[in-house]
Order: sequence, then C-alpha cells, then structure tokens
Amino acid sequence: MIDVVTLEVFNNRLKAIAEEMQFTLERSAHSPSIREGADCSAGIFDRDGNLISQATALPVHLGSLGPAIEGMVKAFPVAGMKEGDVYIMNDPYAGGQHFPDIIMLVPVVHEGRVVALVCNLGHHQDIGGAAPGGNATNTTEIYQEGLRLPPLKLYDAGALNVAVEAILRANVRIPDIVWGDLVAQTAAAFVGRQRVRALWQEMGGGKFDEAVRSLQDVAERMSRRVIERIPDGAYSFEDYLDNDGIELDRRVRIRARVSVKGSDVHVDFTGTDSQVRGPFNAVPSVTLSAVRYVVRCITGDDIPNNEGAYRMVSIHVPEGTLLNPRAPASISCRAVTARRVVDCVMGAFAQVLPDVVPAASHGHSFSQRIGGIDPESGAMWVTSITGTGGMGARPAKDGVEAIQTDASNARNIPVEFFENYMPLQILEYGLRADSGGPGRHRGGLGLVWRCRLTRGEAVLSNRGERHYTQPWGLYGGMPGASSRYVLVRRDGARELIPSKGVFTMSAGDELHVYSCGGGGHGDPLDRDPALVLDDARRGKVSLESAREHYGVAIDPATWSVQREETEKLRQTLRKRRPVAGMVFDRGRIVESAGGPRAPVIDIGS
Amino acid sequence: MLLVGVDTGGTFTDVVCSDGERTGIFKVPSRPDAPGEALLEGVKRAAALLGARPEDVERLIHGTTVATNAIVQRKGAVVGLLTTDGFVDVLEIGRLKRSKLYDWNIDPETPSFLAPRERRRGVPERLDSRGRVLAPLHEARVKAEIADLIGRHGVEAVAVCYLFSYLNPQHELRTRELIAKGAPDLPVSLSCEVDPEYREYERTAVTAFDAYLQPVVKGYMGKLREDLAARRLNATLQVMQSRGGITSAELASSSPVNMVLSGPAGGVAAARHIAQATGYRNLINFDMGGTSSDVSLVIDGEASITTESRIGGYPVRVTTVDVSTIGAGGGSIAWIDSGGRLRVGPHSAGAQPGPVCYARGGREPTVTDASVLLGYLNPENFAMGQIRLDVRAAQQAVAALGKQLGMSTMETALGIHRVINAAMADQIRLMTVKRGHDARNFHLLAFGGAGPVHAPALAADLEIPAVLVPACPGVLAAFGLLTANVEHDQKLTCMQAAVGIDAAKLEAIYRELEKTCLERMARDAISPERCEVRRLADLRYRGQSAEIEVPIAARLGGDAVKAMIAEFHARHQRAFSYVNADSRVEFVNAKVVASYAMTKPRLDVPDGSGAATGKPYATRKACFVSGAVSAAIYHRADLRRGERYAGPAIVEQADTTLVVSPGQAFDVDESGNIVVRTGQGAREAQ
Repeated sequence: MIDVVTLEVFNNRLKAIAEEMQFTLERSAHSPSIREGADCSAGIFDRDGNLISQATALPVHLGSLGPAIEGMVKAFPVAGMKEGDVYIMNDPYAGGQHFPDIIMLVPVVHEGRVVALVCNLGHHQDIGGAAPGGNATNTTEIYQEGLRLPPLKLYDAGALNVAVEAILRANVRIPDIVWGDLVAQTAAAFVGRQRVRALWQEMGGGKFDEAVRSLQDVAERMSRRVIERIPDGAYSFEDYLDNDGIELDRRVRIRARVSVKGSDVHVDFTGTDSQVRGPFNAVPSVTLSAVRYVVRCITGDDIPNNEGAYRMVSIHVPEGTLLNPRAPASISCRAVTARRVVDCVMGAFAQVLPDVVPAASHGHSFSQRIGGIDPESGAMWVTSITGTGGMGARPAKDGVEAIQTDASNARNIPVEFFENYMPLQILEYGLRADSGGPGRHRGGLGLVWRCRLTRGEAVLSNRGERHYTQPWGLYGGMPGASSRYVLVRRDGARELIPSKGVFTMSAGDELHVYSCGGGGHGDPLDRDPALVLDDARRGKVSLESAREHYGVAIDPATWSVQREETEKLRQTLRKRRPVAGMVFDRGRIVESAGGPRAPVIDIGS
Repeated sequence: MLLVGVDTGGTFTDVVCSDGERTGIFKVPSRPDAPGEALLEGVKRAAALLGARPEDVERLIHGTTVATNAIVQRKGAVVGLLTTDGFVDVLEIGRLKRSKLYDWNIDPETPSFLAPRERRRGVPERLDSRGRVLAPLHEARVKAEIADLIGRHGVEAVAVCYLFSYLNPQHELRTRELIAKGAPDLPVSLSCEVDPEYREYERTAVTAFDAYLQPVVKGYMGKLREDLAARRLNATLQVMQSRGGITSAELASSSPVNMVLSGPAGGVAAARHIAQATGYRNLINFDMGGTSSDVSLVIDGEASITTESRIGGYPVRVTTVDVSTIGAGGGSIAWIDSGGRLRVGPHSAGAQPGPVCYARGGREPTVTDASVLLGYLNPENFAMGQIRLDVRAAQQAVAALGKQLGMSTMETALGIHRVINAAMADQIRLMTVKRGHDARNFHLLAFGGAGPVHAPALAADLEIPAVLVPACPGVLAAFGLLTANVEHDQKLTCMQAAVGIDAAKLEAIYRELEKTCLERMARDAISPERCEVRRLADLRYRGQSAEIEVPIAARLGGDAVKAMIAEFHARHQRAFSYVNADSRVEFVNAKVVASYAMTKPRLDVPDGSGAATGKPYATRKACFVSGAVSAAIYHRADLRRGERYAGPAIVEQADTTLVVSPGQAFDVDESGNIVVRTGQGAREAQ
C-alpha cells in the first residue's frame, strides 16, 4: 500500500505538472484567446483514459478532455501508440466541444509501453468557416462552422504528418497563428510527457499506478463525504435560452432533474427541448463540464481534480435534444448554453442546499463582435467586446458587482487599449443602478457600457442572452434585471435590438449595452435599512426601489432612514407578499409563441 | 563613516551597522505604538557597539512596513476620487476576472474601499487616444465636487485619474491647481505622475492607493525626522523603495505608494549584493519565516523586478522587486483531510500561539515541531536562546497525528518535512518556469529563521548544485539596506509601431524622463555626473497584453531603434520560444532608471570568539529520509574559511539553523557565506 506521505508528495507533483503544461501553453501561444484569455486546459490521464490531474483556467473545460480522449483512443487504441506520436482532434461528434478547441493527446511511453497520457486543449483564434473566429449566431449546420478534424496523427513516431499541416493551413484565415498555437500545444505536451516519465521512473512503475488509484480513491472519498450529507431526493428545475439565433421568438427550454441517493448524484435532462436549428446546441461533454462545475463548487476545490472526484456523478442527456444533438446540428455557441445548464443544475440544488447555493448570476457575458473598414487608414478592424454582469446574492452575502461567474473568466479590454485601435469612443463604463435583484442579500449589479462609432461604417454581430428572462432570485429574493441592448442612431432614434442578430452602424451611431444583475437572496424587507441606505447613497439602489422593494424610506436631504415611515411601508408590503415557502422568483419572462409557460413565481418542485 | 540600517518588522526591529571596518548586528523589540522609539534605540545601541556617539551616524537607512500595514489594516486616509465623467466605477469594476474558480463565497476583488461610490465623482472632460482634447475640463465642476467631498465626506486626500492623462497631463495638473486654491493643504495624487501608463483600472487603483497612503506616510516620516532632530541627530534619513533602491525620506513621502514592498526589498537588495560579491550571479532567494516563505530571483547579478505586484490581493502597479509568497512556513500546521491525506498548511500557527514546542498554547503540530523531533533544532538554544523548546509537547502532538495515520512519531515528523519540502520545491519550480527560467541554472540563497533548515533538502529536489547561507540570515533585509543603490525611475506610455518610430520625438521624451530622474537624484545630493542612467523600453507584439522590457541605447538613432527591435525579438524568443515579423512590434512604454552605488561597507561578520576551532562541539541523533544518523553539531563561529566539512551536519547560529543532509558537503567562502554543495556541485568539487 502506498503511504500517505508519498501520496501527498505525488499529488502535489502531479498538480504542478498539469499547471506547468498549462503555463507552457499560455506562454508560448500566439493568439490572444490562449495567451490573454487563457482559454486552454491541460491534464494527465492514466492509460485507460481516466483523469489523474487537470489544470483549468475556465470551468467549461472540466469535462472536456475525457470524452475527447475516449474518441481518440477509439480510433487509435492505446496499445498501438508509440513514442513520438501526437494525436489531435476537434470533432464535437467524436468527443470535442466545438471546432476552435483543438485537443491534443501524447502518450508517455516507457520501455515500449504506454504508461500514461498527457493531453491539452487550446481554443484557436480561427478555424475557418462562415465567420472569423467561428462564433456566428446564425449557422444551421456544423459544416458552416469551419474545419472538422476527426482523431488523427499529427506526428507519427516523431515524423510530422505534413498533409495535416497543409490542410489546416489552407482552411483557416490566420494559418501562421493557428499553426503557432498548435506548436505551443505540442511544446506543452512534451513538457508534460518528460515530467510524467521522470516521475514514473522515480517512483518505479507499479508504485505510480498504485498512487494514481489511491489518489482517485481519495478524491472519491472526499467528494462522497460531502454529497452524502445532502438529503436524498429528486429536485427539478428549468430555465431558458432567449432563442437559437434563427427563430428569434421561440425560447429554448433546458430541464434538469437532480437525484441524490446516498453519495451518488444523477442529473437527467429529459424534458429539455429538441435540438435547434441555430448554433446553440451542445454536445454531452458540455453538459458534463457544467455539472462537474456545480459539483466541484459544492464539494470544494481542495479535492484533487481527478476522475475519482466525479465517479459518483452521472448524467443522462436524451439524444436529439439541445444537449445531445444529432450530427450535423450546429454547435459553435455552446458556451452560451453551458451557462444556462449551470443555472438549471444550481436551481435544482438550491432547493435542497438553501445555505449553499447562490441565486442566479447574470448568466451570460455580453459578447459582441464589431468590425468594419476604418476610412482613415483603409484598414479592416474587428474586435470583440467582452463584459459581464452581476453575481447572484449568496445565502449570507450580497452578490459581487460585475464579475465573471461560472463557466467563463475572461478579462475586459481597457478603454485606453480599445480606443487606440478602434474607431470607437467609449462614452460610459459603469455599474447599472437597480439591476441587482433586491433581497435580504442583494444581487450584484450589472454593467452599463456605451460606445459611439466615430467614423466609417461597422457591422455589429450581437450574441446576447437573458433579454427575455431574468436571473432568478431565491427564497424571497427578487430577480436581477434583464439585459438590454439599444442602438441610438445619429439622429437620436432609439432601437431596442434583440439578443442575437447582425446590425449595421454608421458614424455617430451609439451602442448601449445594459447587462444583467444577479438575483437577490432572501426577503428584501429583511434587509438591514442601514445597508439599503448605503446602497442608496452610492446610487446602487434608487430611492424608489428602496421604497418599493425594500420598504425603506430615505430622506435624501439628510441621507437618513425615516424610521416610522419605513416601519409602515414594511408592514404594508409584507401583507402583499406571496405565500410562504417561495423558492424562486423568475420575474418577467417574455412570452412568445411556443415559449415557456412558466409561472411568474415557482413554489419549488 | 557610520551607517545604520534599520528594518522594522512586526515583532522585532533588525539593525545592522557598520563603520567601514566592523559590522554590528542586533535586534530590538518593535514598538508599533511608537515606531520612532525602536529606531532611535537602534541608533543608540549601534553607535555604542562600534564605540561611537549617536551624533556620528552619517546615514540611517530605513526599511518599513508602514505603507503595507496601512493597507492591510485599512488605516489609510479618507480618499475622494475624481475621474472622467462616465467612468467613476472603473475602480470598482476592475478587470472582471475572479481569482477563485470554484468558490461561491468570493468577496469583491477590487479595492473599492479606497473610495466607495459616494466619494467618487465624474468630471466632464475628455481626451482622445492621441491626447487631443475632445472636451475641455469643466473647472466649476471640479471646484464643486471638491467642496462637497470635503464638506460632506471629510476627505483627507484626493486622487485624480482621467482617461489618457499619460498622453496629456494638462487636465490633471489644472485640477490640482483648482484644488489647491480651495484647500491648499489637501494632499493630491495625480495619475499622470504616480503611474503614467495606459490601462485605466490599474492606473486608477495605484493612484488611489497613493492618495490613501499620503497622510499616513507623511505623518510617519515627519515624526521620525522630528524625533531625530530633537536628539540633534543629523544623519541623512533614507528609505528603502519597493524596487530595491533607496531615496531620501522626503522624496519617499512624496510618492508613498512606492514604499509598499519596502520590507522585502531589503532582502532582495542584499541578495543582489551577495550575487555580485560571490560570483553566483543567478540566485533563487528563499526566505522562510513562520507563516510563509518569500521567493525572489537575482538574474545575472540584478534583482528581478515586476510591475505586476499585488498588495493584499489588489493590483498596485509600481515597480517592485518580484517576490512570490508561498503559504508554507515553520508554523504551518500538519493535519489530516477528509480523504485521509497528510496535509501541511496553508493554515499556520504563526508566531502566536506558534508551534506546540513554543509552549505558548499551540496545540496542532507544525513543521517546526517536526524539526525539533528530527533533531534539527537545539531545544536549549533556539532563537538566540529566547525560546526554550518543549520537546515533550511537540512529541505528543506529532505522535497523536501519527496515531491517526498508523505511523510512528518519527515517520510522521519526517513525513511532515517531506510533504512541505516537496510542495515548496514544486512552487519554486513553477515560479521559475513562469518567468521563463530553469531552476537548475540557479543557486539557492537561504535566509529567514527556517530557510537554512529546509534549503539543502529543497536544493537536492530542485537539482540545484549549491545553497548559500549568508553570514546573518536572520537580519538579511537590514543588511541589504546598507548595500542598496540610490535609485529613481520614471516612465511614460507612448504607444506606436516600433518600425518607423519618430526617433527624435522619442529622444525628447527620454530626455525629459532623464531630467526628472536626475532632478530627484540631485535632491538626494547626488550630482548628475555620478549617476548611472539606463534607458529601457517596454515592447510587445501588437495584440499582446503583456510587454517585455528591453534595454536601449543612450541616444536614439536609426541603428539604435533597429537594435532595440532585434533585442526584443531575442528576448521574446527566449521567453516564449517564437518571434513574429518586425511589422508587428509595438513600442509601449519609455522608462528611465538612474542609480548611484553608495560606498559599500565591508560587511564581515566578526566570528564571535575569534578563535574558530573548525570542530563540531557535539553530535546529535538526527533523522533524514535515508535514516537516523549521528550528525556533527557546529557553532557557526567555529567554521574556518577554506576548510571542507561533510554532512550530515547541523550548524547553529543565533538566528537560524542549517541542516546539511548526508552526502552533502559544505564550506565557508571568502565573503563568509556557508556554501552547501548538493549532489552535482559536491561531485564536481571532489
């Protein structure tokens, strides 16, 4: 049996190797998506394809490597792998998530035998297809999304497969950068290969395998300890995407039923809408990542990130649905769907873990692509605007204002960087007052972001969400504000634009983005009036909202709470409260033909 | 010429003094209530030790945590912040990214406490990305907002950060004039002076920190100078800056945010000195204390610096020595997690209650308790004999932990060391990899109370050939104060394509930066001809968000620009293993550093008795991974220069203990450092 000291040393070493692979990839990559966005992941697997250790910069990658390895090993059995082989793939229908993510596998060979696998994933800046960057919101088949790579050998026993390089280069818009990133992935995998092999030799083979198994058992034991404390039962929840980018009036439903039995968790997505025409379908590994994310938040980041930590978690995604589409359904915008899957699973757990799970967060990083030709320089420009919204309020804390939550974690672009390169002037970048869901603990505020096109023409490709629904509040907390995008034309005309679509802008036109706040937690009438006063002084909550939602009367002349008036207001409001036991407040859901018939308020399930 | 270096810590104030011939080292208790008292006490004792009068002290160099403490304890000023209208929330929004991915209980990660929203005001004004005025400064609004901030919110300092002010400081400068008219004594920090570099969030944050610290640091320095004057001490008071150089107390007070790493910078300055003196030009500096360990690098004789340091988790964009903190120290607690694993840290017993063996109420076994049981530490003579170690208590605590694991007490103690050493080695390896270096090309400089206990084992794991233990590892930061250069730096963002850059215009910018640096050096009583002036440029490929620093020629012409671009490609290749075309290279920041090397005193530490025996004074049973052995125990003062000693051995001195593993060898070099040769190095020497 492996002793606990060796096991802990081994665990730290594996974590460090995964991290070193990840750094090597981030450091040597050429494209901003990997270098700056850290949109990559690296892991070590045993020869049966079970995760030993993984470094993640984005939670959306938590379940991304295992299914890809499964796909590659199916095509190239481990027994036949040789020293110097490098395998790649990006096919979502063979274990990938979407085309820009190229997954690489390299065997660690010792004396002719594969002893472990190292693997990494990089999100490439372009992969061909209808739109640069591969994130168009109106594709209807995977063939429009770019170059599809089934599992194949990039290197065969150290020899480069030049055909693959040639095909890849011929199909992408920025061949040197894409190839450069693939070289970086190879460098990262080789670092991992070298370190794992050294560790294997240092430990002696049998001990390595034994330590791996022990470590997976440790992770399983730690996870089960937490899950077995959750009361057995089944907890259901559903939430919606605005639409699929094609049929703009049809909301898309995701349904999750979480069953907890002993220390096992099963999540069944039966009841989720059928696959859609637009690119918002997501293959099962996306849902796997989302479920693993929620489980990890519940069980804790201290548990070694290996297969054992998730052995007790299973999912069922019926074929032909949004979450398990049949080829060639379009899937490029799966990250948006992942956010809503997270919301669904959190909503289900919120019913049984009221002291743990936060109210819904903003649920989507706003993300637009704007580009055009700058008349001053004649050069083409294109940029993504990334922002975020508020975090949902927690059982014991307010939500954080404007911060990345769940699946994503990208930084924003400084105004002073932006204006240096784009014919855009940012007019405002601030917190959006009254957007946080009122509650005993308030939801975090969303953002206001306003810009003006200073010259030329531009095309705006909008990829928004939660225009037609709101981030839900919990246990008496009210929902956060929906997001809203407005085009203000040079002549002052205002156009409220839908969350997904393509629009044109001319010099002088302005785009105003208002992102969601997080949902509130607990009855706002129970919020300490002093905190409501603070929020009002800070302009985070208006005087009207303080009265209407929190029942707090504030005298703006002295910035003090009017005690008697507040008592009275709260008494009146309390009488109007809905029945006790309310779990969710979804607020306004814009109904549409075939859309959800969700009640305004749920009474749990 | 009498010099005194005073490094103020939480518990002790470390003092190193020199008269050019002799060196004195001692500690006095810190006085958080009256820090000046400890400093004066240090001066008095230093003079007495070297047979001089306090009035004879010429230079008094101070390393202080006053700025850091004000941030950590939230004891700074009530700050008002003026920004461009529409951007008051930049400070609170930050960069959106969260540092913990799987935690639903995270707290806000931006320092909005510096100026909550009611104290942040937008002023109509706007520059474009070339510094041209799009909207003039609304002067009436400035006056009105300031009056309100003072009247209703009692602000004690003001920070001003307008968009693109680094390209055109006029609006910020004018704002200061307007404030001065109404409130002449109100401290004002302008972003164009504190940090004239692009990225509005980072610039706003550091400017707000500067304002937050102004009254605290000015008050502290003023009081020190008064105290010195009251005792008729005319010593020049100098302060250690975050980037490892020193300056006058007066100049330091005018940019207080540059003092945030004043404490650790002393240690790095000392490491730099040691690297240059010994010829071990690449050092990993490993400072292990009770709660955590600080790791920094010296590369080719120069301290590694960064502009991305964080204080209390917040970005503070000033140039600082590049110090990474690992959550592992002598006080790190060993425990068993729910998976049955033996874990060490990150929780620490710190100094209070401290390890179990301190007998101050600590109950959970720590790394130091394990060190005692393994025979590494001398219970009768620990920390200059100030703490008598309770071996029995340590044994009980470690035994109890071992019982749960089914391990003997010694196995458990050894296990604690193996776990923490491996974790520290992993972190050090990663830290060097992240910076594009290979740990195997470095030597390990061990200091801090616990550093030399662990360093030889760490070095073996990291395949590092030698460990250096300086003469006074417990007070190295104070030692560094005496060896540091006087230094001033200036920078300015002027983003443009590097190829075809307007060399004449850039030359003018560099001259302006040099002028400011030299003016500051003059205020430190150093004339321009004595200064070494270096020009640096931050470059990157268009689209990257991080820059690489490149040294450039003293005068800019066509060839110098070409050389600059070539050097950038070379450095990029080294760091990231590829290069792009020239056309993508972008010039980002112009930077100038002026420095002057003060006369360095000989810092020989007198070897106690003067009669080194070269022999161990005892032997003791000590446990290593290879087994229990009888180790030779030396007083450090008994080691002779030029003689070789073999491990296993333990070398005791007042402020630390060195643990040399079996198979390792050691000697004392010319400068008085102990050099432990591990694996590779020892074989070479044989």
